[in-house]
Amino acid sequence: MSNALNKKRDFIEPSILSALAFLKDATLSEEYANRKGFLQSLDPRLKTLSFLAFLVTAISLKSAVLIGTLYGFCFIFAILSRIPVRHFLVRTLLFIPLFSLFMVLPTLFSIVTPGEPVCSFHVLGLNGIITRPGLDGAVLFVVRIATSVSLVVLLSLTTRHSELLKVLRVLGVPQLFVLTISMCFRYLYLFATMVENIFTAIKSRVGVVSHHRHGQNVVAWNLANTWNRTTQMSEEVYMAMLSRGYTGEPRLLRVFHATLKDWVWLCCALIICAGLFYRGQIL
Amino acid sequence: MSDIIFELQDVHYAYPGKFPALCGVDMTIRSGEKIAIIGANGTGKSTLLQLLDGLIFPHHGQVTAFGELLRENSQVDEKAAHRFRRRVGLVFQNADIQLFCPSVREDIAFGPLQLGVAEEEVGRRILEVAQVLDIRHLLERVPHQLSIGEKRRVAIASVLAIDPDVYLFDEPTAGLDPLTVRHIIDFIVNANQRGKTIITATHDLHAIGEIADMVYVFGQNKRIIMGGTPDSILNDRSFLEMNNLVHIHRHHHDGREHVHQHLP
Ligand SMILES: Nc1ncnc2c1ncn2[C@@H]1O[C@H](COP(=O)(O)OP(=O)(O)O)[C@@H](O)[C@H]1O
Ligand SMILES: [Mg+2]
Repeated sequence: MSNALNKKRDFIEPSILSALAFLKDATLSEEYANRKGFLQSLDPRLKTLSFLAFLVTAISLKSAVLIGTLYGFCFIFAILSRIPVRHFLVRTLLFIPLFSLFMVLPTLFSIVTPGEPVCSFHVLGLNGIITRPGLDGAVLFVVRIATSVSLVVLLSLTTRHSELLKVLRVLGVPQLFVLTISMCFRYLYLFATMVENIFTAIKSRVGVVSHHRHGQNVVAWNLANTWNRTTQMSEEVYMAMLSRGYTGEPRLLRVFHATLKDWVWLCCALIICAGLFYRGQIL
Repeated sequence: MSDIIFELQDVHYAYPGKFPALCGVDMTIRSGEKIAIIGANGTGKSTLLQLLDGLIFPHHGQVTAFGELLRENSQVDEKAAHRFRRRVGLVFQNADIQLFCPSVREDIAFGPLQLGVAEEEVGRRILEVAQVLDIRHLLERVPHQLSIGEKRRVAIASVLAIDPDVYLFDEPTAGLDPLTVRHIIDFIVNANQRGKTIITATHDLHAIGEIADMVYVFGQNKRIIMGGTPDSILNDRSFLEMNNLVHIHRHHHDGREHVHQHLP
């Protein structure tokens, strides 16, 4: 068979499968949450509060250097929590470009942020000038995003989803809303698993998944079919809830215990934030 | 009080789109009985269990539970609904559907908490049922990431935690390894000895001798085509074969082909 055809053939399957694998891994794996490390050992409520404080700090500070310091703390915490730095970096870096480039690009240019030009160029007859304040603003923005994303990633890596959801409850988010989020997680996982299974099933029958248009149709049909199945399932899940006495207001367990260590941690976190704010005032 | 738990009279049910699932079922179930419902796929076993659990309601005919008619609006009264839920527990065919909480511990706690059991008592029950079903090491895990056998045991635990009088099992042994099957059958037999009423839908003929004193066979016409003791039904091979309930195995022994039915 020709090379070109082979290439085309292999295209759909690996890209979808690896995207799914990544999705599952990035959003649903609890490998690191189950490790015995520093952040994992903290009470989820106080941990979430402290990370909220960090996040507010990262968003409000106006100095790239200070936000960078907070970013440095993230790495220390990651290492203390036995998360491989490389893994941590890959995770955060994957989200950052998407986030920041999207929002930074327009502010780089002189139309949006006027100032001293750093360089100028002509593209397709358009006049673009990158300005000093524009560039500074962009750097600040990128550092801020990087730090915020890192904080969120760190919190979600070191806390089980079930606990994060419970924290939402404790922080006053309505129960039904929390249960809905938890179901979303479940469906996402089920959906990903089903799609994987379907691919394996097709592959075992056909040998290779999909070349030409036919293959693509099979993929599309199966995705639609899978979606139908998941929505039908939600009705059945509702029945399962009814069967165990659900009458509209779910009651869930609360099992958190904050120790002295957790409070010490929260204090340290607040001191770090306050310190950074104080420096920010002076600078 | 009469010891009749369920009484079904000429029950008909069809799914939306006019897919008939039950076409005229009569049945009486008494307290402490072990009942097996057997039948090929699609003969209405799951539908029947959902009717008995008050999740769906007959379009024609009636279901009486504990002397009261099961009707759509009888579930509106929360107290009455809870009284019923405390007495009847259904282990669904698909454990993936039954387990919807973020952790095994919470899934086991869900039923008792909904039914107003105090948190302390719920905590005690979690440990107890986890011990009985040997799932203590799974309590903090995410239910949908477990193996099928583990899921099934968690699903049973989540019903056991409610401690109902009547257990409805929908194909509890399907797709499990022999050891887990053994464990689950023992659980069912044991629960019955403690006075629980057990109704099991299955097409596993190996098990019915143990899990039933009375067997109802459902046919493709979606009604009961035979009822009797496990022995009388298992001995009627041509009947079982006709109703798609036995595997016919073809083996080679010493170079000669040999056909036999697969029966306990
Ligand atoms: N959600 C549904 N929608 C439409 N038809 C259904 C649904 N569930 C079951 N049925 C139909 O009802 C009949 C009985 O199904 P079921 O009670 O699941 O049988 P069993 O459990 O014995 O395999 C089957 O013919 C099936 O196709
Ligand atoms: Mg069924």
